[in-house]
This record gives sequence, structure tokens and C-alpha cells, in this order.
Amino acid sequence: MTEATDLAARAGDRDPRIGLRAVTALRRLLEQLEAVQVRSARKQGWSWQEIAAELGVSRQAVHKKYGRQ
Amino acid sequence: MFERFTKHARAVVLGAVGHAERLDAEAVEEQHMLLALLDREASRASFALTSLGLGGRRESVGRALAEARRRGGLSRADTDALSGLGIDVSAIVSRVEEAHGEGALAAVQGKGKARGGGKDGGKDGGLGRDRERGRGWWSAFVGGRRPFSPGAKQLLTDSLRIALAQQDRHVGDEHLLLALAARPGVPAEVLADHGVTYASLRRVLYGGGEAKAG
Repeated sequence: MTEATDLAARAGDRDPRIGLRAVTALRRLLEQLEAVQVRSARKQGWSWQEIAAELGVSRQAVHKKYGRQ
Repeated sequence: MFERFTKHARAVVLGAVGHAERLDAEAVEEQHMLLALLDREASRASFALTSLGLGGRRESVGRALAEARRRGGLSRADTDALSGLGIDVSAIVSRVEEAHGEGALAAVQGKGKARGGGKDGGKDGGLGRDRERGRGWWSAFVGGRRPFSPGAKQLLTDSLRIALAQQDRHVGDEHLLLALAARPGVPAEVLADHGVTYASLRRVLYGGGEAKAG
């Protein structure tokens, strides 16, 4: 059994450590994906307002987070 | 505080800034510290790494770190945990790279994360802002070119704590290496894959049979 499937099996056992780590990793992945998409949208000429609307946050929030790039 | 750092330890911190700049990272992170540690020669850390067989495998460590960057900085433990949720990180990485080019996730690493998120959106400058951007007592030494990530800052503090616990009067690069190996994350994982752990480092640095310090 590989380490991955072993861990997957343990996730099924409701080991909080694995579950919490998965959540943290997911949040991290989400941040990276968001940054990739925002950058791509800016390159294609999207306004901060348009990006914010898609993300469901305020224009200021998006600009503050990514504006310097 | 930097007066306590040995020549080699200072060289590691400076070298880490250099690696962060070379890789175009927004902040100096633990992985850059590891790369800088691998550059040292004739130091306590390089002696320990060579004793543990890492001497000739530095490129392999560099490759493993690059691979982790490509995954957006996720460690293998992270990707394993996600696969437990049915999320295939390598599939996501290839999809993103298909659409946005190779290394797309690596390119955004460290951006947006290391920011202070302070309230002062407008005017630049001022001590408060520098502190928010992750600058501290070491910035006078390294020139404040890049902020240090929270993890890298913690690493500096940990290294001092380890040196004090060892009753060493100075912080050497071996203390930075020990601190790195003790912190969960990509660098410690990559080191462990190459046979370098906190326990094995203590063994070669301080002799066998010693209990792991907290």
C-alpha cells in the first residue's frame, strides 16, 4: 500500500490531523489558484471591478491583494 | 541580535535573500534558507550534511524544492492529505500549466501571502509598514531588500532558541539547519527524503544517544 492510499484510508478513519491538514492544504491551493486566475484575467484586460464581481468580493479587496503585481 | 550569528550563519541569511531574488519570490522563505545552507562549505552545517551523505546530492535537493514550488509550495504530506479528499494535486497542476504555462503555480508563490495586510493602503514608508511587510531586526543586516516570510522569521527565532538550549554562545549555520529540519514543511520533508532529519543531525553534530530537545 502506498503512503498516499494509506493516508487516504486514514482520512476515512476520521483522523482530525489528516482532515485539518487537508483543509489547510486546500486553502493554500485555493490561494494559488486564485492568484493564477486573477493574473490571467488582468492580462486579458479585465477590470478589478469585473474580477471582484466574479469572486464575490469588493473591488478594493481584490485590488489590495493583487494590485501590486 | 545578529551579532550572535556566526560568519556562516550570516552568509546563509544573506544567501537566502539572494536565492529569493534569483527565483523572483516576493519574500524570503524557508526553502531559500535551505538552498543557502547547501551553498556553504567548510561550515558546521556542511560538515553535518556531508556526514549524512548529502554532500554530492545537493542538486537533487534543489530539484525536489523546485518540484514543490511547481505544486504551489504544497508538501507531499499536503498532497497526500488532499488525495484523501479525492483531490489530485498533480492533475490540477497539469491542467493549470496547460492553460497558463509551465510553472504557473510556482510563479504566484509567495505573492499575496507574505503581505502584511495592513490598513495603510496609501502612503509608503514608516516603521509600521516595514514591520507589517515582515521586516525586523535582521533587515538592517540584509539591507531590507526582501521581506522575510513568517516561517522564515520563525526559523531565525528557532535557531537562536536551539543554540541557547545547546548552551552555544553563537548561532551557527548548524542551528539554522536544525531549526529547518525541526519545522514541518517542504524543506524538512525534502531533507528527510535525503536522510537528513532533526534526530540524525543532532547525532552527527552532538554525538549519539542524545534525547530530542523540545
